[in-house]
Amino acid sequence: MRVVREHRDDLITRVRILSAVITGILAVIASGFWFVQLVQGSYYRELAENNRLRKLPIKAPRGLIFDRHGRLLVENIPSYALMIDRSRATHVDRSLAFAAEALGRPLEELHDVMRRYAGTPVFQPVLLAENLTLSEVARLGVESYEYPEFEVEVQHLRLYRHGGQTASVLGYLGEVTQDEVDRSDGRLQAGDLVGKKGIEQTYDAELRGEDGERVVVVDSRGELLEEYGRKPAVPGKNLTLTIDLDLQQEAAHQLDGPEKVGAIVAMDPRNGEILAMVSSPSYNPNLFAHRLQKNDWQALLDDPNHPLQNRVIQNTYSPGSTFKIIMATGGLTEHVVDAHSRTFCTGSAVYYGRPFRCWKKGGHGSVEAETAIQGSCDVYFYGVGQHLGIDRIAKYARMFGIGRPTGLDIGGEKRGLVPDMEWSLKTRKMPWYPGETISVAIGQGPVLLTPLQMAELTAMVANGGYRVTPHLLKDAAVPPPERVAFDPAALKLVRQGMWDVVNSPSGTAYNSARVDGANVAGKTGTVQVIAQAQRLEAKALPFKYRDHAWFTSFAPLADPQIVITVFAEHGGSGAHTAAPIAQALHAKYFKIDLHPAAR
Amino acid sequence: MQNISKSISIQPLAEERPQALRHLSSIDLGLALSALLLAAIGLATVHSASSEMVVDYFPRQAGWVGIGLVLLVVVMSIDYHVLLDLSVVLYGAGIAGLIAVFFIGVQRGGAVNWIQIGPWQFQPSEFAKLATALFTARYLAGLNMRVLDVRQIVVTIAIVGLPIVLVAIEPDMGGALMFTPLVAGMMLVAGIRIRLLITAAVLALVLGAGVWTFGMHGYQKQRVLTFIYPERDPLGAGYQVRQSKIAVGSGQLMGKGYMQGTQSQLRFLPARHTDFILSVLAEEWGFAGVLAVMSLYAVYITSAARIAMRARDRAGIFLVVGLVSVTCFHVLYNAAMVVGFVPITGIPIPFLSYGGSFTMVNFIATGIMLGVDMRRYVNR
Repeated sequence: MRVVREHRDDLITRVRILSAVITGILAVIASGFWFVQLVQGSYYRELAENNRLRKLPIKAPRGLIFDRHGRLLVENIPSYALMIDRSRATHVDRSLAFAAEALGRPLEELHDVMRRYAGTPVFQPVLLAENLTLSEVARLGVESYEYPEFEVEVQHLRLYRHGGQTASVLGYLGEVTQDEVDRSDGRLQAGDLVGKKGIEQTYDAELRGEDGERVVVVDSRGELLEEYGRKPAVPGKNLTLTIDLDLQQEAAHQLDGPEKVGAIVAMDPRNGEILAMVSSPSYNPNLFAHRLQKNDWQALLDDPNHPLQNRVIQNTYSPGSTFKIIMATGGLTEHVVDAHSRTFCTGSAVYYGRPFRCWKKGGHGSVEAETAIQGSCDVYFYGVGQHLGIDRIAKYARMFGIGRPTGLDIGGEKRGLVPDMEWSLKTRKMPWYPGETISVAIGQGPVLLTPLQMAELTAMVANGGYRVTPHLLKDAAVPPPERVAFDPAALKLVRQGMWDVVNSPSGTAYNSARVDGANVAGKTGTVQVIAQAQRLEAKALPFKYRDHAWFTSFAPLADPQIVITVFAEHGGSGAHTAAPIAQALHAKYFKIDLHPAAR
Repeated sequence: MQNISKSISIQPLAEERPQALRHLSSIDLGLALSALLLAAIGLATVHSASSEMVVDYFPRQAGWVGIGLVLLVVVMSIDYHVLLDLSVVLYGAGIAGLIAVFFIGVQRGGAVNWIQIGPWQFQPSEFAKLATALFTARYLAGLNMRVLDVRQIVVTIAIVGLPIVLVAIEPDMGGALMFTPLVAGMMLVAGIRIRLLITAAVLALVLGAGVWTFGMHGYQKQRVLTFIYPERDPLGAGYQVRQSKIAVGSGQLMGKGYMQGTQSQLRFLPARHTDFILSVLAEEWGFAGVLAVMSLYAVYITSAARIAMRARDRAGIFLVVGLVSVTCFHVLYNAAMVVGFVPITGIPIPFLSYGGSFTMVNFIATGIMLGVDMRRYVNR
């Protein structure tokens, strides 16, 4: 065995030398501290106390937002705000009294603002008042020598050119919450404005840009002596949306007025681009540009129609007869019926010992798939429902996208609800009753979906069975269209049936949705809000008991370019309330005059 | 070619184990107490430095110190020969972690050098540093030469070079720089001819010039240039150096008092809970505070040197030298940076700066050194 010579003494000598060298360097550095702290100490002490460097932010202008044709939807306008540096005020109460007088605002309001900032360091200027007029700015300027604690700051305000008409798409800005600051990784600071809803929220990072800053040397009174350095702001990115402003405004106009509550979506079925999206009642986002007057906010919260809710994606409704689109596609794809299977509708049918009525009292007579869609025959679809059974109905409802978010690029989408046996046991803790299947077959059961999901399923019918992802940003990265396993022949027949609804004299929306030259196809739906027996005189019913109205449509039949879905909450009937709105929008989109004779 | 594992002569392992814990009383108090005191001062300073921030980092750092202490005790009770035997595996895991960063890494300020597992984020480079120290110590311990020959130098550099390259392309130049004291300290102790040292210095200069021209990012060049001409970038690094010097200088002899530093409380100081924590301390406790902290580091370093010199075998010596070299470099560079002697780069100061991975690694290193010391009597 080899004797291990460890050369231990050599190693120990070297360790000793190394440790001495390191301790020596440590001493040199300590002497550096001695030099800076003791020899130059008073110089730096003076620098720290008097000649301060101050960082002033340079706000990055937020990106502009355009519609698909480059028309401006949101811009930034300058606005003057009053800041107060409490550390420079001789007496804060005196300053506030002066400001209240100069601005003609109640003193108590300014005191309230100051209380909100009670916890922040006094040398940090705080925002006292916003939206100053030029004459107020001038008044403060005159007195600036006496009140050096005030500073007028120019801010950029967001101006939504079309107010409430685009609110459901664009959203609004609001003051950042502490939680958002924590999660932003230093990107956001208290007091910043961030997108709270819609496009402003989803694309906040892109729109925001990057604030720059100026470092200035100030004297002990805080007066600026010189600029020390500057980092320019990086402006936010401009965004182009898929929205067509003309169509958006027309849609907003259609839902404008008292007792007009509802949602409209227009979408390109070929790629999922949203052309218009309106939720009514709406709100004026320009009110939020200033840090919001309290009573405006309260009014929005108290409104029984919840204007802040985006009905297109955040509310779910029963589909009513529009569900027959899904039933027909499912029935034909599963071959429980074929195109020529006939049913004789006498106005009612009996299932499980209980009569189920057709909406048409006298009955439709003999119907097959296409004519059943055309006349929205309940009895025909009761039969399809019974043969499919709830689990297969649920399967098709899911294939059409109900029960999951569509993937729209603004947040808050509801999933909707697809009932099946498992759901019944799990959620309701009771078995599914076969009779319920019969109700679901005409869209009256527990099924729920958002208006956007309705547009999405209509798009699948229109484009031949492809799932497209609805989106609002023109160059959003969306997944490519995905084929869904429907029988193409079934979809073709459903499209034809929907065309008949609008264009055949016995269709449910004949005259109320037809646009000559546009070849509109659609389906009506009416959702009962209260039971049949109680609703003898529908016209006289109070608003909140009236039926909901659906109309979902696409055009033109041969090569669909647009899907328009209209939902009118308590609107009455699909054919009378919702269909004419869709008609007006198709006419607008295809630039067709609906009433040439009247000219 | 020598057989590495055979040439580490550690036959009496079995009989030593039960004795290990009996030697608890022989813990080196200088090393242990200086580390504890520094960590306590660090906690207080982190609290002061983050008092104007959104988050108070004190509770988190207290958590890290707690975990660090547990790890210290665990590591201390393991025989360091076992660690050396495992060093190949640990080194492999360290390299794997550095490679994993490229696939599942999280970006933080320019470099992708974090891995997130559930709510935990950690920096693989910190742990790779430990593993590399172990593996290099094992290699050098197995050599029985008065001085290293060229081939051995090349092997040593290769062992340390691999993680350096991986960290450098993250790109985290500061992190890569932290591996160099490891190889430098251990090779100097292992023995290098003066002639070779001079050649290496010349080579380093040439390499440095090459890196400057081809390998550096704009912002890194900027930092070096800013160091030489601080007026170049008054808002970036120049601003930081200036603010740090104002903080340190205005502390004068006795400081402005705890939580009273205007430079840090007014948010003039950047990264004041991590890289610039020493500025906060210098401002609030003055030169007196700096001197106290420097003395504690001196105690820590000389204790480590003492442990190295009385270690049982070559492996123990190299292990301690490697670990303490890294700590020394952190201390020296950070302190020099804070007074404006060297360019600013993201190098925290051991036991004082906030940071999870960094704090844990410092305690583990201390634990390994204490473990080496506890086993010094056996077989001598």
